[in-house]
Amino acid sequence: MASTGSNSSVREPEVAAARTDIALVLTSYNDARTIGPAVRAMRDGLSRHVGSGSARFILVDAGSTDGTEDAARAAAAPSAPIDVARVGPPGLADIPYHGYPRRAAALRTALETAARLQAKACVFVDPGLLVPDAAWTERLLSPVLSGGFDYVSPYYVRRANEGALTRGIVYPMFRALYGVRLRQPAGHEFACSRQLVAYYLEQDFWEFDQADAGVDLWLATAAACGPFRACETALGVRPPPSRDAPTDLGTTLAQVVGALYADLEHRVDVWQRVRGSVAVPLVGAVPTAEVEPVSASLEPLIESFRLGYRELREIWTWVLPPRTIVELRKLADGGAEAFRFDDRLWATIVYDFALGYTMRVMPRDHLLRSLAPIYSGWAASFLLQVGGATTVAVEDRVEQICRAFEAEKRYLISRWRWPERLR
Amino acid sequence: MRRPRGTGDPLWYKDAIIYELPVKSFFDANGDGIGDFQGLYEKLDYLESLGVTCLWLLPFFPSPLKDDGYDIADYLGVHPSYGTLEDFKRFLHAAHERQMRVIIELVLNHTSDQHPWFRRAREAPPGPLRDYYVWSETDEKYKGARVIFVDTERSNWTWDPVAHAYYWHRFFQHQPDLNYDNPAVVREMLGVLDFWIDLGVDGFRLDAVPYLIERDGTSCENLPETHALIRRIRRHIDERAPERMLLAEANQPPAEVRAYFGEGDECHMAFHFPVMPRIFMALHLEDRQPIVEAMERTPPIPESCQWALFLRNHDELTLEMVSDDERDYMYLAYSMDPQARLNAGIRRRLAPLVGNNRRRIELLNSLLFSFPGTPIVYYGDEIGMGDNLYLGDRNGVRTPMQWTGDRNAGFSRANPARLYSPVIMDPVYGYQAVNVEAQENDTSSLLHWMRNMIRMRKLFKVFGRGTIEFLSPPNRRVLAYVRRYRDDIIFCVANLSKWVQPVELDLSAFAGLVPVEMLGYTEFPPIGSAPYFLTLGPYGFYWFELQRPRA
Repeated sequence: MASTGSNSSVREPEVAAARTDIALVLTSYNDARTIGPAVRAMRDGLSRHVGSGSARFILVDAGSTDGTEDAARAAAAPSAPIDVARVGPPGLADIPYHGYPRRAAALRTALETAARLQAKACVFVDPGLLVPDAAWTERLLSPVLSGGFDYVSPYYVRRANEGALTRGIVYPMFRALYGVRLRQPAGHEFACSRQLVAYYLEQDFWEFDQADAGVDLWLATAAACGPFRACETALGVRPPPSRDAPTDLGTTLAQVVGALYADLEHRVDVWQRVRGSVAVPLVGAVPTAEVEPVSASLEPLIESFRLGYRELREIWTWVLPPRTIVELRKLADGGAEAFRFDDRLWATIVYDFALGYTMRVMPRDHLLRSLAPIYSGWAASFLLQVGGATTVAVEDRVEQICRAFEAEKRYLISRWRWPERLR
Repeated sequence: MRRPRGTGDPLWYKDAIIYELPVKSFFDANGDGIGDFQGLYEKLDYLESLGVTCLWLLPFFPSPLKDDGYDIADYLGVHPSYGTLEDFKRFLHAAHERQMRVIIELVLNHTSDQHPWFRRAREAPPGPLRDYYVWSETDEKYKGARVIFVDTERSNWTWDPVAHAYYWHRFFQHQPDLNYDNPAVVREMLGVLDFWIDLGVDGFRLDAVPYLIERDGTSCENLPETHALIRRIRRHIDERAPERMLLAEANQPPAEVRAYFGEGDECHMAFHFPVMPRIFMALHLEDRQPIVEAMERTPPIPESCQWALFLRNHDELTLEMVSDDERDYMYLAYSMDPQARLNAGIRRRLAPLVGNNRRRIELLNSLLFSFPGTPIVYYGDEIGMGDNLYLGDRNGVRTPMQWTGDRNAGFSRANPARLYSPVIMDPVYGYQAVNVEAQENDTSSLLHWMRNMIRMRKLFKVFGRGTIEFLSPPNRRVLAYVRRYRDDIIFCVANLSKWVQPVELDLSAFAGLVPVEMLGYTEFPPIGSAPYFLTLGPYGFYWFELQRPRA
């Protein structure tokens, strides 16, 4: 099978002869422990909730050596056969924060296969991150198959201390830039229509430098910027990740925020014309998560911020204007009990770093890593405010942050259009 | 984010920012006093950071250099002073890596008299080899053709004692014209095109394109046979490499230049010669009329075609396309020093032309970047480089690029006496006052301003692709126009006067929309049915996006 950017090994005649209504895509890398349950859950969900219509699994593996492929085949059923593709083994530099190598090539291969199968709908799940619930298949598929949506984004209920990076940067900035309120726009679980599959394959981001870390976000961005209908689907409480989660905040920020900033450059002609934002439909009922007080001490986060202020202040002055530096000093000098990041201050900091990124005022990785202490400070401030709050109250707080990002978008545009070096 | 090359828009030239440079003048990497491809390669980061998207290289081929390389002795090589073909390939690859396209010169009309084709022709008996050039027993043929370089040439014919015949040359006598009535010559030049296309060159500036064919009883300019030849070249390019671009140099009235676009089947681009001197005239008169007239006389062009706009280039500010009165006015206004005059033009750079007035420089560039067409920036004008009137011909505007305040302006490590040209050293424009390094460190420098303007221009395709419509406010010192493309409406207004000017504009067609000043993204009061009042500072200009009001 011809496949751009990957070393796919799906057998050509097998796929060429086949057609399917539904493509169930799994990407894997040494996920033998979880791939079987994932396939079974999706298979069960398919038979239980979706009913008629042909379906095929597409497994794209990044060179697993632990029997992932065999485990997946064993879990598949005659009603939903499995096609296996492989992308070439990763190099040492290919391991992104979530531990999944060559994700862009894997997703591209899956999309190419789905296009060839003429699938009406595609569902994507990464069993390395989550073992899906059987009901997810229906929740992701039905908006495409019967709701007329092209892009279905996951919506998980998350506790106050989960998903801070998404709540503090990715969602507010994505929403302010592209005008679409997708609350978890970089989720690995999503669904798309045949039209969107074709559109994705026309995009030119597949071989960009940060594609492995950024492709999930860029797929959401492409859907938001194109002529497509998007919605969110409630997937319940997010299960804990099954693959090792990252521990290095600097690397995580460099990859996630770097992907966001890179997209900013790529779609500048879109986001500079978007004003305001619109909500998208949320399909399904959202359960209420138990309220849990923030158990961990926030002092290490605040101390990390203070240490950053002492050690990285000089670097920050390359991207942050003097008034922001003064505000950060006040925070660093203040007590923990009154430690509060103003939303607009936070939004302008994220935007100023975006500008520094695009202006290349210093090596981009260094710049992004230097954001980590400020982010730690913001996260401490956020958790101080939402600790013990209900999920609804947390969402209200996130909404305030998003409004600040939307209000400060003018600041970003004016600085983007007429950048002035600070040093 | 690096984008793979070759997946671009075939109309890429409409959105391009072209930077014109002579390789010899840009940076000397090997210390021999002459700029080279290795030097250009080393300065690509600078060009990338400036934001230009296309480099136009002046001739770099083997040549006796009697006309700064436009006298080509070998179309398929690199002049040894500038490096090797391998150096060129390395530079080209690196430019493409930075998403910059590269266009080169294709001097179709003539070669050097040192070209092997000419040396062979003058000794050949009558027949195909001699017929590579245009010969005559007398100098009486083609009497209708004017002499272009009136300051140096008295006739378009020169006697060749070897051939015992006159040969035809529209430019210098050391540049014999090729004979395109000979099919072998056409084949040769298509082979030249293929050579550079195969190396990856993105486009060709067709030098002196109106003069390719001669016919008795005509001016020997813009002949139907010339257009037929260009169509043949275009077909060849489209079949072989569709994304490559042809840029016509036809210093002719707009209607004649229009013909070089054909029906979209000749050149992709052509220089808009008439508008450039009128911009300078309007500035000096403090009256928009010369610009408006020139633009209104500009005929529509096919959808796939584009005008190339420039303020200054490697030649003199040509006044061939203006009336006698206008030419006299321009000489009085811009070249009181007779040294500045050359042929029918003024050999000065942008900054000296406008008295080194920063506001005027910015205003003119704002017009360059907002008029319909693709802007071309001449090397060094982004830092306000000066010129040297005491160098011969047009060499005064081709001096070494001023990189630093160090020896030789940081252009070369060679002994200053060895430089191909002295650097500019006067106290106003000299390299110690005007250089890239100093302006990089000064956030209010012209260099930073140009970089931001280029960045702004690239954000809006309307500038390269949109329509233009002039407004007629009573105050003629103010030029106002609207650019439209798809959903974008951009309103531009410029004060051509040295004093502050008020203006009332009829924007009632846009009532309800909100002007947002584009550079600072500042919202202005919404447009109503009454005249819209603005005040512009000396040589001030505004660009506004017209946006719908927020809900």
